[in-house]
Amino acid sequence: MSQKPDNDPRLDQAAASDDAVLALHEKAIGEHPDNGARYRLLPIFILFTLSGLILFAGTYLNRYAAHYSPLVFNENGKPSTGEVVVKIDPVALGKKQFEAVCITCHQATGMGVAGIYPPLAGSEWVNGPSKRLIEIVLYGLKGEVHVESHVYSAAAMPVFGQVAGSAYNWNDDRIAAVLTYVRQEWGNKSGPISADEVSAVRKSMGDHKEMSEDVLMASK
Amino acid sequence: MKAEYSPIDRASSVPLILLLRSGVAWLALSGVLGLVAAAQLISPHFLDSWSFTTYGRVTALAETSFVYGWLANAGVALALWSLGRLSGEPLRGQGWALGGWLFWNLGVLAALVGIVHGDSTGFTLLGLPRYVHLVLLFSYAALAVPGILAWSGRQRKISYASQWYAVAALFLFPWILSVVHVTLFAWPARGVLQPIIAGWYAQCAWTLWIAPLVLSVAYFVVPKETGKVLPSYEFASLGFWTLIFVGGLTGGRHLIGGPVPAWIPALAVVSCALLLFHTFIVFLNLRGAVFARGVASRLISIGLAAYILGALVDAVTSFHSVAEHTQFTYFDTLQQQLALYAGASTVLFGGIYFALPRITGNLWTSAGLVRAHVGATVVGLLLLLISLGGAYYVQSQGLLDAKVSFATITAQTRPWLLGAFYAQAILLVGNIALLVNLLASACWITDFSAPATFNPAPALETSAT
Amino acid sequence: MKNNVIFFLGLFTALLISWAGIVLGSNAQLGKLAPYYDDNDSTSYPQWLPGVAAQGQLVYRDLGCASCHTQQVRRPGFGSDQARGWGERQSVARDYIYQPAPQLGSYRIGPDLTNLGDRKPSAPDVDDLLHLLYVGAPGMPSYRFLFHTRQLGVGAQASDHALSLKGALSPPAGTEVVPSRRALELASYLVTLKTTYDYPEAVPLAAAPKEGEK
Repeated sequence: MSQKPDNDPRLDQAAASDDAVLALHEKAIGEHPDNGARYRLLPIFILFTLSGLILFAGTYLNRYAAHYSPLVFNENGKPSTGEVVVKIDPVALGKKQFEAVCITCHQATGMGVAGIYPPLAGSEWVNGPSKRLIEIVLYGLKGEVHVESHVYSAAAMPVFGQVAGSAYNWNDDRIAAVLTYVRQEWGNKSGPISADEVSAVRKSMGDHKEMSEDVLMASK
Repeated sequence: MKAEYSPIDRASSVPLILLLRSGVAWLALSGVLGLVAAAQLISPHFLDSWSFTTYGRVTALAETSFVYGWLANAGVALALWSLGRLSGEPLRGQGWALGGWLFWNLGVLAALVGIVHGDSTGFTLLGLPRYVHLVLLFSYAALAVPGILAWSGRQRKISYASQWYAVAALFLFPWILSVVHVTLFAWPARGVLQPIIAGWYAQCAWTLWIAPLVLSVAYFVVPKETGKVLPSYEFASLGFWTLIFVGGLTGGRHLIGGPVPAWIPALAVVSCALLLFHTFIVFLNLRGAVFARGVASRLISIGLAAYILGALVDAVTSFHSVAEHTQFTYFDTLQQQLALYAGASTVLFGGIYFALPRITGNLWTSAGLVRAHVGATVVGLLLLLISLGGAYYVQSQGLLDAKVSFATITAQTRPWLLGAFYAQAILLVGNIALLVNLLASACWITDFSAPATFNPAPALETSAT
Repeated sequence: MKNNVIFFLGLFTALLISWAGIVLGSNAQLGKLAPYYDDNDSTSYPQWLPGVAAQGQLVYRDLGCASCHTQQVRRPGFGSDQARGWGERQSVARDYIYQPAPQLGSYRIGPDLTNLGDRKPSAPDVDDLLHLLYVGAPGMPSYRFLFHTRQLGVGAQASDHALSLKGALSPPAGTEVVPSRRALELASYLVTLKTTYDYPEAVPLAAAPKEGEK
């Protein structure tokens, strides 16, 4: 062969036989030469590196694994403990309910439709005693009703509360929220209505039949 | 002292050559597909008139033929070769390997046809349509048979690092694939469990399959070429078990900030950091490759440098504050190319250059083609990584600023992506050089009675430190 | 390493640990994740995708749309996701429980699509998306193979969802460009992408103490 085999890119020469590779590496594991009684730093360094990494791993998981909770997506978060206290803004919830249901009759302006659906904006019923208002939503309203000396009689208010014959079965929270909303919207300035007030009315009146203006005015 | 050429290789040459040939052929195909995808990033309307040349499908095709065509074929061939040599006997059960080779490659072909038809699963590193999984599973198990037989029938009781990595890769992959088939396809998990399991699979395929295949080649070729005992070899087993035990836990690496429980990315952060210990041991053991002169050592040292760099980058980018910049950008492409191309493929190239003359008994046909391939690989990789880095930087700055529109980002990344396109073209030229050279060199097998070109290997004792 | 059996057991144990930890562990936590019942709305969330949209998700997957688009909004302080109007809250696991093939994606070469059906100020409708698919955009290819051109009978009205194209793109007189079934499925899927419901677990954390000190 004319080329110098060592530099020929067509063939890499081996510098060790397979047997030698096996035999010497087997020996390398087995024996730890004393090296003239010098202290060997590498094994200690490797030990420290590994322990350091494991320490880091433990600490990091402890801090950022959110206690392995399935519902925490932020590594800084913690799983919620015990009861979840969800604070709902009654005005926001009420607005959502109003826009889903009430808006069809009472309109986005809160002005209703003349002669058919009474207005809520500025209405003496909405801004009046809270018990009367709660009764209307809980049990519905049939027959003539006077708002700001106009008569509305063509339509009936459906039953919303969790009472017999209810069309909507809204819970007290929802009714309170929607009433709170209408009492502060469109220039109305009346105070909020709590779910407890609604519950109290519902419990004291039981499964009352639909309200009429006379009954409401009488009950006070 | 045994001679460096041996009847062991001659007796095992048929399946090994078949695996290497098909592997390099898939590599060239994936290069062409990768080039098309790179062109589509520059001008999106390129080849958009057919469903099968959509960017999404072309990238899935390129990735599948790269991983399951090239890396699997070449990696398994070299693992079988080194296991056979280290066992001191010709490979047993070669019929299994031949059958495995045939059905594996038919399976990959079926997978590509399936993706063309739109059956891709859409998961990273797992674009394989569900109906090829079983074929691939059983053909891989068949391919592994000669390797496992060679390992269990080895002459020495104590085994060598190269053997551990090779056996681990041969043994573990079928399990990973079967788990993912059952949980994602046979009885699909719900919702975000799918990306979680797919992420687990992708990381396992890398850390428990491809990386071990690659390291088995490096651990075998490096001491053979340097002629020295690996420094700090007594820690090699610690490095091995770190990879095997921790590798599978890195699954949530890409899911940080996403809709998965926080512990999954947190576990990935920790595992990526622990894997650095493995990387450090690999560095300690194989650092001698830099000083060896052969083509194989040069390629393997480049590959190992990329492997180490890739592990560092993985560890750094798994943290929230870094991932915020790198997530969803070309940095992911960069990381993938750093691991699968610069890391894995380069080492496999080195292994092929070392092994093939011994398997066939011939020199490589053309020295010029070897040089062309090595040169193209180095230049292409540098250009590719730099271009993707630039594209990442521009894209990341744009994405973080809500006022920058996507049209602006596209325009700004374009010059960098053009660089990536040229890089892919250079790599493709190199790979075609490899393919031509391989087909020419491996088309006949020389009688081993007169292989005058091999120097006898010196005994290691003389040069061991 | 000498003992073959122990070696294989070691390998297998390692795989078992990662499998049990990640696959089994997350499955135990999220596999039975129930929809969230909202008492006030008397509805549970998320809602099932309509059939045509579920089909569309498969079209989305097989065309590889996830190569460029993600479907996951990250929490505030994580990139510009919310500043870009991609969603008002972060995506959570519950969002995806009814999806046949969740497409989280891993690249943002194009915008995130998690909440495409609820974009402010105006969300695209099916016809807008069909037009986009046909025409493409800067940085986005067109998908004309999802459409076909057909003859329009004399005096016949244009079909539902026939594209209104202008200039060079407009089809010859007497013909119209109509979407295929797959195009309609894809567009119908995209308009159903909405994450308007706020789950309790999607509420962002109160400002971190570190930021509070500033």
